[in-house]
Amino acid sequence: MTAVPQEKAAQREAIEQSGWGQPYRFLQPHNVAFWVYLLGVGGGALTMLRYFGAGASFYTPALAGGVLLFGLYLVPWLLLLRHHNRFTAQPAGLLATGFVWGGVAATFWIALPANGALLAIWAKVGGTSFAANWGAGLTAPINEEWGKALGLVLLIGLAPRLVRSAYDGFIIGAFIGLGFQVFEDVLYVYNGATQLYGVDQLGSSLRVFVTRGAAGIVSHALFSAIFCAGLMWVLGRSGERKVLRGVLTMLMAMVFHFAWDDMAGIAGGSWLIGVLPFAIAAVELIALFYVLRHAARQERAWMRELLGPEVESGVVDPALLDAVSGLRKDRKKYRKHLHSRSKARHRIEAAGDLAQEIARAGGAESAGVAHARAELVRVQQGGLS
Amino acid sequence: MDMGQAPQGWVPVEHRLLGLDRRTFAAGFGALAVALLLIYGLQALNAAIPWHNEIRAGQVLDLGGGATAVPPVGWQLERGTLTGGAGAAATSLQVLLASGGATIELEGTSYDGSAAAFLEQVQRSEGDSGSVSGSRGSLTTDAGLVGVVESSTGPSGDAIDVAFKMAVGTTETVNSAPALLVRVRTAAGQFERYQDEVAAMLRSITPGAAR
Repeated sequence: MTAVPQEKAAQREAIEQSGWGQPYRFLQPHNVAFWVYLLGVGGGALTMLRYFGAGASFYTPALAGGVLLFGLYLVPWLLLLRHHNRFTAQPAGLLATGFVWGGVAATFWIALPANGALLAIWAKVGGTSFAANWGAGLTAPINEEWGKALGLVLLIGLAPRLVRSAYDGFIIGAFIGLGFQVFEDVLYVYNGATQLYGVDQLGSSLRVFVTRGAAGIVSHALFSAIFCAGLMWVLGRSGERKVLRGVLTMLMAMVFHFAWDDMAGIAGGSWLIGVLPFAIAAVELIALFYVLRHAARQERAWMRELLGPEVESGVVDPALLDAVSGLRKDRKKYRKHLHSRSKARHRIEAAGDLAQEIARAGGAESAGVAHARAELVRVQQGGLS
Repeated sequence: MDMGQAPQGWVPVEHRLLGLDRRTFAAGFGALAVALLLIYGLQALNAAIPWHNEIRAGQVLDLGGGATAVPPVGWQLERGTLTGGAGAAATSLQVLLASGGATIELEGTSYDGSAAAFLEQVQRSEGDSGSVSGSRGSLTTDAGLVGVVESSTGPSGDAIDVAFKMAVGTTETVNSAPALLVRVRTAAGQFERYQDEVAAMLRSITPGAAR
């Protein structure tokens, strides 16, 4: 038996624990989660067709405008999330599976009927004034946050080795939330047009786009990223179970959702209504980065272990390891260290590529690993072509 | 002995049940249970709780911007608010009153034009409903609001739609005011039973003092 160096053993353990480099396969007929996913998306698609079908021809301008505007709205979001899908780099197919669950199943299969029922319950229990003030905020955080998070649970069933850490929950949650947000926004465009009985449909969709688009910056994608990171801490799938932190994080996402939906009730008709959207958005963004930072801690440790043998062999220098496995401030420090933004970016990306190839090869040597290593050496020697 | 590589999706025999992988039961059935609880559990709970929001004598509906209506006593207010509450918005108003199988809906929106043109826009947006429309008439409330009424009957029951522009005065003032659509629906042949209550409520509709 050959002795495995300590760094190599840690690398293999990190690959095993993180599930990095594992392929994702959607079609799994033996998997119950696959069938439940199909049931949810199929049920949601049917409800969606019934919902829009009745007035589809008369409201075509509004629907087309909504789909086009919110389709374009997706582009910067996807770029931003791609940037944050940094460490694990979840496969695109898995993220698309989450997005479709959020948009079709969570919105139309779960939230639409569940919200209608719970809103009526609040009106029956507390009266219509109470429901008007507080109903939305007492309904959506329960039905919608859980409805979206079920997508994460199903993805755990579909890709148990890929969905391990709180960071995985954060990224997948953001994609599920983004799907929910965009499909819900198109629904709002349609509702807005029906409320005006089809007068000025394009203008009405543009108004919904401006208001919902601006609010969307601190809406479903953010709530779900936080909620799903919390759920992963509770489940503790990477061996790091933190139930209290997880529950508090999930509650925080629900409280944010409540505050956003019941802003008028919280302001109570006072001047606060002008300030609250900005105050809540600021608190939400601070909380988002706090959760992101904590959620990424384990991924960063895995990244260090993954590249450990490369540091030993001198391919990756310690400063580069700090930058590729570190926070924004570490990358900034590395940029200063190299006196070049582009050099730093190329080296960090090349080291990330090497980590991905090592994970894909399961820690063994492969043609991909050799190439990624050679590329890193080339950019470090300044041989950019 | 060479173990070989398991084909993709291979499930070891001890984990199989009816062709499914038992290791996926927790995630799959767990998610399904929560989803069904949210969808059907809440609907069942809603169906089990009766309405206790009966209109009492003297209560007045808030139609937004100071506009009001006196709802029929004994009907259940299922959506909408009474005066003295948080305040309704005239251009996104949604009120629903129900009694037995009959409902009265009040929907407020913004519309530039006359009440007759508004009713036509509503009908255009809904296409052919398969009902037989009756004649169109006008209705004047006690406060002087002039509405356009159209009744219809069809397989799903009797209906009347009344369109108002919530202002009195010059044509310009009326055209730029918010629009209100009142829709009454009853089972076929049952409208007579509610006629007096509906007529009294329609007559009670008052525009806001500001207009």
